Amino acid sequence: MKIVEKFKALPDKIRAIPKKLSDKLAGAKEILTQGNGKVTASMLVMGLGQLIYKQWVKGAMFAFIQIAFIVYFVLTGATDLFGFFTLGTREGNAWYGVEGDNSVVRLIMGILAIMIIVLYAAIYVSNVKDVYRTQCAMDTLKKPADFKQEAAALLDKSFHKTALALPVIGVCVFSILPIVFMILIAFTNYGGDIVPPALVDWVGFANFGKILSLGQFAPTFFKIFGWNMLWAVLATALNYFAGLGLALLLNKKCVKGKAIWRAFPILAYAIPGFITLLGFKFMFSYGGPINYYIQQGGGEAVGFLGLDAKWSARFIGLAVNAWISIPSTMLLATGILSNVNTDLYEAARVDGASSWKQFIKITLPYVLFATTPVLISQFIGNFNNFGIFYFLRGGLYADGYFLASDTDLLINWLYNMSIDNNYYSIGAAISLVIFVITSIISLTVYVLSPSYKQEETFR
Amino acid sequence: MANLSLKHIYKVYPNGAKAVNDFNMQIDDKEFIVFVGPSGCGKSTTLRMIAGLEEITAGELKIGDTVVNGMEPKDRDIAMVFQNYALYPHMTIFENIAFGLRMRKIPDVKRDKEGRPVLDKDGKEIPVMRKYNKQELSAKVNEAAEILGITEYLKRKPKEMSGGQRQRVALGRAIVRHPKVMLLDEPLSNLDAKLRTQMRSEIVKLHKKLETTFIYVTHDQIEAMTMGTRIVVMKDGFVKQIDTPKNLYKYPANKFVAGFIGTPQMNFFACTLKKSGDKVKIKFTDADAEITVPYAALMKTTPHYLDGSKNVILGFRAEAVSLDGAGDAKIKVKISHSEELGTETLVYGDLNTEGGADTRIIIKAGGFRQFEPDAVCTATLDTEQIHLFDAETEESIMPRIPEFNYLDCSVKGGKLTFLGITETLPPAISCGEGKGELLIPVSAVKFGGDIKAKVTDSETVNGKILLTLEINSGRLYALSDEERKGDVSVGIDYKAITLRAGGSETLPMPRINCLDGTLIAEKKDGATVYSLLIGGEKFAAPEEVYTKIFAATTGRKAFNTAFRYEWDAYGLSVGESGISAEVEEMLDYGEEKFARVNACGQTLYVKTDADLSGTVRIVPDAAKVSVVESERRIRIV
Amino acid sequence: MNKANVKVVKAKTKRVLNVLITYCILILVAFIFFFPCLWLILASFSKSGSIYSFDGFFPAQYGFDAFKSLFTDTVMYNYPRWFANTLFIAVMSCILGTLLTILTAYCMSRFRFKSRKAMMKATLLLGMFPSFMGTIAVYLIMTQFNLINQHWGLILIYSAQAPMGYMVQKGFFDTIPYSIDEAARIDGASNFTVFVKFILPLSKPMLVYTALTSFTWPWSDFILPKMLLIDKDLYTVAVGLMSLGETEFARFAAGSIFIAIPIIVLYFCLVKYMINGMAAGAVKE
Repeated sequence: MKIVEKFKALPDKIRAIPKKLSDKLAGAKEILTQGNGKVTASMLVMGLGQLIYKQWVKGAMFAFIQIAFIVYFVLTGATDLFGFFTLGTREGNAWYGVEGDNSVVRLIMGILAIMIIVLYAAIYVSNVKDVYRTQCAMDTLKKPADFKQEAAALLDKSFHKTALALPVIGVCVFSILPIVFMILIAFTNYGGDIVPPALVDWVGFANFGKILSLGQFAPTFFKIFGWNMLWAVLATALNYFAGLGLALLLNKKCVKGKAIWRAFPILAYAIPGFITLLGFKFMFSYGGPINYYIQQGGGEAVGFLGLDAKWSARFIGLAVNAWISIPSTMLLATGILSNVNTDLYEAARVDGASSWKQFIKITLPYVLFATTPVLISQFIGNFNNFGIFYFLRGGLYADGYFLASDTDLLINWLYNMSIDNNYYSIGAAISLVIFVITSIISLTVYVLSPSYKQEETFR
Repeated sequence: MANLSLKHIYKVYPNGAKAVNDFNMQIDDKEFIVFVGPSGCGKSTTLRMIAGLEEITAGELKIGDTVVNGMEPKDRDIAMVFQNYALYPHMTIFENIAFGLRMRKIPDVKRDKEGRPVLDKDGKEIPVMRKYNKQELSAKVNEAAEILGITEYLKRKPKEMSGGQRQRVALGRAIVRHPKVMLLDEPLSNLDAKLRTQMRSEIVKLHKKLETTFIYVTHDQIEAMTMGTRIVVMKDGFVKQIDTPKNLYKYPANKFVAGFIGTPQMNFFACTLKKSGDKVKIKFTDADAEITVPYAALMKTTPHYLDGSKNVILGFRAEAVSLDGAGDAKIKVKISHSEELGTETLVYGDLNTEGGADTRIIIKAGGFRQFEPDAVCTATLDTEQIHLFDAETEESIMPRIPEFNYLDCSVKGGKLTFLGITETLPPAISCGEGKGELLIPVSAVKFGGDIKAKVTDSETVNGKILLTLEINSGRLYALSDEERKGDVSVGIDYKAITLRAGGSETLPMPRINCLDGTLIAEKKDGATVYSLLIGGEKFAAPEEVYTKIFAATTGRKAFNTAFRYEWDAYGLSVGESGISAEVEEMLDYGEEKFARVNACGQTLYVKTDADLSGTVRIVPDAAKVSVVESERRIRIV
Repeated sequence: MNKANVKVVKAKTKRVLNVLITYCILILVAFIFFFPCLWLILASFSKSGSIYSFDGFFPAQYGFDAFKSLFTDTVMYNYPRWFANTLFIAVMSCILGTLLTILTAYCMSRFRFKSRKAMMKATLLLGMFPSFMGTIAVYLIMTQFNLINQHWGLILIYSAQAPMGYMVQKGFFDTIPYSIDEAARIDGASNFTVFVKFILPLSKPMLVYTALTSFTWPWSDFILPKMLLIDKDLYTVAVGLMSLGETEFARFAAGSIFIAIPIIVLYFCLVKYMINGMAAGAVKE
């Protein structure tokens, strides 16, 4: 029902886009047609209009930004921007001692240059808007804020600008830039033989075509995708319900010494993941303790995680993942359970509801409601759970797969292809596909979840 | 310690929703004002706008003599008590109360270490701003704590205190700064019933003690009635009525106020009115019942409601009916059940003794009394205490100040006869001959005419004086600025009357002339001149007008927005240059002459002394203009 | 025995059975979670060290050799050095990352600015990208800025990426009544003052939770350090332990225990804050 309504609302949203755009344009048009000479001055030279208005510090800052940008652009920016489109023109040759262009570095510096240009453009626009705002204030006989007030506002009204500046820059450089880079790599021929010093080139959608047309990629992709979905659903459900069950168990009135009982799962939670995983790998290895006992009992050593192991390895993965993740779900559920209104239980008991009924009718709906966002992120986390199979049996290539094995998730496959085997562009293209799938799933769930809707009405 | 003035206050959200609509009010110093209404009526938004927590979209808010629009909350010298107390959980009670003082600086003079003032070279003290010192802080906090009786808890944290004590701390935090205005946003709604009653009287006492202006928001009408010196009843962003508790109860201006104020709720019944002689028959629409009341009780009722065809709503309170009173207005009630409350018994019944439409009636009976369910009793209505409302607009049809005098009249040979007097109709009013009716607005009865009258009654309503005049044993209501007694002479302002006679109707001259235009700014000799631009003509705008427009708009919107400029007929005149207009008709009202002209597609009425024809130029008086922003429909001036 | 008595007895046996089953499950759970840890601890006391000289889960001979060599045999594997490196990186990233995350969450919770909704959706989307694909880019950026083989490079990345996970903290801030901010504003506080004097003291559980999570991530991460650190002396414990072979299992176990202990201690001290923090971050009522 809700999904249908969402989609019904879609046309209205799309129809609203031209209006939003024209509103934006109207704002720009107003500045262009009604801005006075000082606005024009600031359009030509950043900060000039402010200086004419005698806003010395602000004007100087804008002017400095413009100078700094010009210096940057002349020194490296222009080359970087150019490099983004060409991805390097001079091929290096160690034999002749020619130091060529590194295409990948060209690409990344190009993205950085574009980001800086966008940032500069944003500052430029705010410079024009600022001087126009001063003009408006002057025109309507209001006192424009002086520098002291504006500086004070940075700790008050616009504290968010001050506070968010660093996080936003950090996220842009270390989270967004890499992702943009990865997306763009999907449209190049980077990988295979074509790695620096060879020159990389733009190839458009060829990689996506390759995934579909080339025999080696498609079957592996669908096989792994099927397992990946199954894994994500099973792992999420297992962790969620086992964690919830554990929390409920520890919440029981008859359990004495809750802190001690709770300590064991927390112990598991606290141990760094890679230690746990390597420990389990040792445990199930050919020479590990499990096989030792099997051999003692007269059996033959079993390759639980060996190349031929399919389901045993999968089950071990599921179990180990549960071992690692259940404690955190338990902690979360414990916290949430302490918030459940106890009156409800008493009312239910008076009504003669069994404890199972109480769980189904009261606990589960409440916990589900409260944890929808967590559930989504857990699903995504499991879908992209790289560590489990990387540590348990990384680097195995089974028959019937292209550079992957039965247990590998898409993300492991990507790792095998791109990091271990240089199939960078194909890997990037596949990761885009994965991204689209996961984001559609989780965005839909998230937008439909009550938590998101309540955020809207918050306050 | 300050009066407040709210003029044309609006709150419009970006999506166009209007939370507060044209809020106008003058609040005197030391008043206890209560904003009351159902949730979502805009009462809290108004309070938050006064506090500065919410931006004012348009309008002018003054605290004392300062316009505080756009001023930070901390600079407004107000204090606020929140519904959930909003105590700072991690601070002690002392710190909670002291925090506001710590954030503030007080004027002082520069002093040396011993506290002696340091003098400058002219031997004068040097003024500086400094923070409160420890002694001052604790003295002030203790003073506030003492007033509220929380001295012993100062070292505690809020969570160690009960709800009532927390409320006291919240009050203490507010009063410690001696603010000009105290704002209280539903402060008692989180308390239990007993504590609420107790805190109610404490807040009232506090108000008396502090002698500060209080503004109190609540959804509870009992709180409003018991605490306020004046009450503002709001609904859907509109002010429904502003009056004293007594007047709200006795003279509700509309059905909403009538139903909102008072418990149990007022009884409402759909009915029709039919006048015959000096009696009015009230016939219930949904029940087979009717009562007769003397016309004297409905004197101010607009006559056309009395012909038996218009749907009206009859309202009366539970105490206006009794089961054993004497009187003529009797109705049959089938009792369904009763609630014994100790001092009185509420009897619930139905007018429909046979079932059918819902005609629930609540009757107050004294003491403990038993009533048989399904018994049919006779109830008597006190006809002095009935209220009547229009079924559609829900406005009272017997307002305290009636809008019109409804009179029978006859027209013959250009002469109008009413109330036994005959007057010559001015040329502007042409009317068929014969009997008819005459509607004279109470404001159109002017003193100093040639009609002799006698003042029989005078009543002060919200600062206006309503006089009841007797003319040849007929009755005429008039508004006056001053008390008048005995014999007076009055005249009729003919341009405001409505006359129906001989099958034709003359409507009053519209009072408002509207013109669409914009505001422009031009440089002239180095100075900027602001003008109203109407129909291509410019008229210099007075400072008061353009500053208000600037205050109500953002950016350069003042110059990019369409305005509707309004004047009465005296605000426009005919001049040498101005808006070009075609004269359509001359209206001669005897003493005054008006021209009906058409300018920019609008019909205007202009005061003139000469007979005009053809094309004329209209000059508006920019000093008398009122301004409405066309798109958002916001009144600015 | 009458019927009522039978009922009482029945209910009693049911209750006893219930308790019995509950404890059985709890013991099982405790065993499942504790046994691997015990195994690791025992392994660290193995004399020979290799995984092949074990009798099942139990070492053939016990001794302190693994611990001794862990701290003394630093030529090949300089464990004390790695430990110090890890501590430095984790502490610095924890301080910076917590600060940035809390600031981001506060802004997202308390301010209504134009790009807010867009930023919230964007971070949600970005979180879904398979992150290691971006590590190539991170590596390239670090080489360009000459931050390869430096601890500060790692700290920079950890702190810069931390604000992406602001949602839990925002959820917590959302539960602090907005009227406290408003009361403080009327009392004369600026938003900065509100943040420092009210929001921070009121969100201690969340601060602890955030600090803990942003400490454990660098503490146990191995992908980034493995990529960005070249010198063995600059290694973190995670990378260092990864470089140990199966024959060094006892040393691996001993090293693991040392790296796990600080975190375990922290978790146990702060478990209350953890529970409150997680719950408050999730519940939005």
